[in-house]
Amino acid sequence: MPANNGAHPRAQSEIEASKGRSTLAGKPGGRMRRLLGEPLVHFFAVGALVFGAYWLLEPDAAPDTRKIEISANDVRQIIVAWLAQGRSPLTRDQLQSLIDQKVSEEVLFREGLALGLDRNDEIIRRRVAQKMDFLAADVAALQEPEKAELETWYSANTDRFAVPPHMSFRQLYFSPDLHGENTQDAAKAALDAIAGKAADSAEVAAVGDSSSLRNYYRKATPELMLKEFGPDFATELFKLQPDGWRGPIQSGYGWHLIWIDSVEPGRVPSFAEVETEVKSAWRDARYLEIKRDALEEMRGQYTVVVPPLDTIDMSNLLGTEQTPTVSPEMIPQ
Amino acid sequence: MRAPIGRIALYVAVVSALASAPAFAQERNAYFGQTHQHTSWSLDAYLMGNTTTGPAQAYEYSMGETIKHPAGYNVKIKTPLDFQGVTDHSEYVGVMRLANDPSSAISKLPIAEKLRVTKDNPMVKVFQWMAGSLADGKPIESLLSPEIIESVWQNNTKIADKYNKPGKFTTFCSYEWTSMPQNQNMHRNVFFKSCNDLPKAPFSAIDSDHPEDLWNWMDSQRKNGTELLAISHNANLSNGLMFPLELDSKGKPIDAAWAQDRMRNEPLTEMKQVKGTSETTPALSPNDEFAGFELMNYLIGLDNSFSKPNGSYIRQAFQNGLAMQDTHGYNPYKMGVVGAGDSHNTATAYSQSDYFGDHGDIDPTPEVRLSGKVVSGMTVIETGTSGLGGVWAEENTRESIFDAMQRREVFATSGVRLKIRMFGGFGYDKDMMSKSDWVKNAYAGGVPMGGDLTGAKGKAPTFVVWALKDPVDGNLDRIQIIKGWTRDGQIFEKIYDVAWSGDRKLDPVTGKLPAIGNTVDISKATYTNDIGSVELKAMWTDPDFDASQNAFYYARALQIPTPRWSTFDALKLGVLPPGNVPATIQERAWGTPIWYTPTEAEAAKAKSGLMVADLVKNKATALDDAELKELVFGKNLRVRNNVTGLTSNVLFGMDGKRIATELDSELSQGGSSNSVSSTSAAYEIKDGHIVTTIEGTPFELTVYRSGDKYVAARNDEFGHANYELVKAAN
Repeated sequence: MPANNGAHPRAQSEIEASKGRSTLAGKPGGRMRRLLGEPLVHFFAVGALVFGAYWLLEPDAAPDTRKIEISANDVRQIIVAWLAQGRSPLTRDQLQSLIDQKVSEEVLFREGLALGLDRNDEIIRRRVAQKMDFLAADVAALQEPEKAELETWYSANTDRFAVPPHMSFRQLYFSPDLHGENTQDAAKAALDAIAGKAADSAEVAAVGDSSSLRNYYRKATPELMLKEFGPDFATELFKLQPDGWRGPIQSGYGWHLIWIDSVEPGRVPSFAEVETEVKSAWRDARYLEIKRDALEEMRGQYTVVVPPLDTIDMSNLLGTEQTPTVSPEMIPQ
Repeated sequence: MRAPIGRIALYVAVVSALASAPAFAQERNAYFGQTHQHTSWSLDAYLMGNTTTGPAQAYEYSMGETIKHPAGYNVKIKTPLDFQGVTDHSEYVGVMRLANDPSSAISKLPIAEKLRVTKDNPMVKVFQWMAGSLADGKPIESLLSPEIIESVWQNNTKIADKYNKPGKFTTFCSYEWTSMPQNQNMHRNVFFKSCNDLPKAPFSAIDSDHPEDLWNWMDSQRKNGTELLAISHNANLSNGLMFPLELDSKGKPIDAAWAQDRMRNEPLTEMKQVKGTSETTPALSPNDEFAGFELMNYLIGLDNSFSKPNGSYIRQAFQNGLAMQDTHGYNPYKMGVVGAGDSHNTATAYSQSDYFGDHGDIDPTPEVRLSGKVVSGMTVIETGTSGLGGVWAEENTRESIFDAMQRREVFATSGVRLKIRMFGGFGYDKDMMSKSDWVKNAYAGGVPMGGDLTGAKGKAPTFVVWALKDPVDGNLDRIQIIKGWTRDGQIFEKIYDVAWSGDRKLDPVTGKLPAIGNTVDISKATYTNDIGSVELKAMWTDPDFDASQNAFYYARALQIPTPRWSTFDALKLGVLPPGNVPATIQERAWGTPIWYTPTEAEAAKAKSGLMVADLVKNKATALDDAELKELVFGKNLRVRNNVTGLTSNVLFGMDGKRIATELDSELSQGGSSNSVSSTSAAYEIKDGHIVTTIEGTPFELTVYRSGDKYVAARNDEFGHANYELVKAAN
């Protein structure tokens, strides 16, 4: 198990923002195509779309803290959000009440900010971080991949879509309940006795111990075998060759002789067979990628200062004799 | 007329079971799954630091993928599951996901003051506040916007559908109804058969914390063609509320309609989960040497709290159900059993050797788990690995698994993939089990777990039991059959060892099977499978069968001892295993009972004991307070239980304490004639009753003068007057 000292790593790091400006502002006249490929740009573009964040568009305009303005666009957004949930159109009264609600919210929000209620608030910090996460998902969802792009991505990730091998086989079981320590030997002796005999011959029918385990498995996969017999059996089984009695191999129940009737080897399906699944997986992967790239880029604009971990006395987590050098805040320089 | 409604219900159940018996019941497989899983979408999980992983990661984990524990390290399941339903709390669901909807996220800021986590207001306090608002029935309105609840629910459905792979891995649309009046656990998980035609939002404990209202809502869903069922859990922490005998949660007398509502809507209950086992406790089952298994006793969210055992354990509910069937004609407690988790980590630990806690940042490391920490009443060292739910189903699909749950052909395990099966019938062939197609014959000649037997016609029922070990865990010690029965409103139990490993012999005096032995090396946290069996099976006929008595039978299979998770943790830390919990554990599986109900004719053969109604009819008079005081105050009374023949001396002290001393127990099961036990409790005389407690649960004794005799009736014995009082020499 990975080491974990139970403390939140976050609490130990101090992150100082450098003088970095926002990426959008910091890319003077970059090529449009390249710009659109930047995860951070996606982030802020979607942020602007979704949040209507005026601070992004007018970064220098100091907001009038005593004025609340609901624009015609805001009203349209309220209506769209309502309709998007599949409801019947708003009446004028309903709309008025939603607007009032929004205004009240804004008032409470600003008053809350003025009181500093957002500071040092673990929940709010997590929520804001989570919001950024959702943005990444939204960016991924907005992108409609070209077929060629999907195909390229698929060819690099075929293992995730591989069809597992399927094996149909008979098994003869030898139980430690009956043979104790000699179970493997009993199975070996039985193998000598039936070597060269057909799977359905009378001699074979008399061999092996009765149990509730099925004696025939049709089109079994390694995963199913792992659940039924344990991981070692699943691994060994799929190494065996057809045509003849094989083994003995061990499971969590005892020892087994195996007769393989047929094996369909694992294969990689054609793109057409799995296109829908590929698209969905591509979106998931893209989401993670956007998230990671954006975080990396954003982190790149900060100088991160963390005290050397060996200076921290793990047995004295209260840190009684030290003044706190650790601040969970992001402090602009 | 006796018990008409119960008989009809039984008849209907038998007929419908026959009608729906599939052609290939004998080909049913055991599938293992999780019916109780929380993710960051649950309010409390989020507050415990599980902030990033949701239902999607829960399914990925159960299918075998590596995910992150809330504390940041990787976790991977040992053996992937066959099915799962994520059951986030419906109450305040999505509050922590408000970020999804920017306008509403901001709008909740005023409440954030109370949600703010600081040194003086830790996570636990926030949780207590929010959970407290539910417990007190005063929900925080601003956190209940329908937009939030509905969109979260739709997302939940979308994710369940995405991960549902019929034949390989089945997911369910499900949620947890979190009713917790005064911190007494009444929780139920609600499972839908299909994810189509779901209600717009789940029915939450904020809508109502009365199970009767939940059942009403479920009935209305069913009327609209949406099939669903509920699984109750943590009866052990319900303070007796989970299985009431007289009054429902609204204070109305329990009746046949209530029993039917309950059985139609919640056919299953959780036998074991991370917060303890709900089978039974040594206080209720003193003769069950394996009763003390992973027990917990507290009220969720309350420090130094205690949950009363009466009404809180499944075996007793099974027994009381029989008594209700016998005396009133209905049984609300014919439940199937599953094991489950209730982990709040998105991932769930099933294996002792791979334990990683259940509650986010409360218990993520061996250090904190062994530290003796108690959080909101929960003693961390007593919590444990998840149980598993087992179903016998034709195939791994929603429909097939749901049907198995509904017909209760299910079993519970303590977390291992131990398979258990039982059938009961009156005409099984003696050497049926030596043939390879015994399962086919077992179905053909009887009923599987969850089924009903009746019409004994002079024969005792025979049970076919079978268990197969988990291929990656300990061997099997034994299979037991636990029988419960009722007579004259009183309840009884007896445990029979029916199949065991090795050449052990039952003790001729006690009838008990010697212990299996122990291969565990505690200092290394190892064991070997040099003892125990891979597979156990037996046919067993009840030697004490009385065709006139209602009874149930369920199987329990035990593994050989293996190290408990706390022993593995101790090894990791290089310390001795903690002394306040066992170092080893006997993992186990429990089957759902098969119920025996006598026919009218058979029941009539039983010589019924005296009823209160008979006393009243014969002009016996109930003693009033003054007469009761005169009779008992400062006196020593001899009290005879006419059902068991047991006699006790009860000294009613002047100090309001009564001391009962059992005088002899030659008629009790397995006891020796010299054994004497004493119990002491407070008593008072009030409204014509002697009111006292047993194990913290109050009961009333009403005393009647009948001729020159004193006869008493207990209020929890369903109208029977089972006790005779005689003044003893002081």
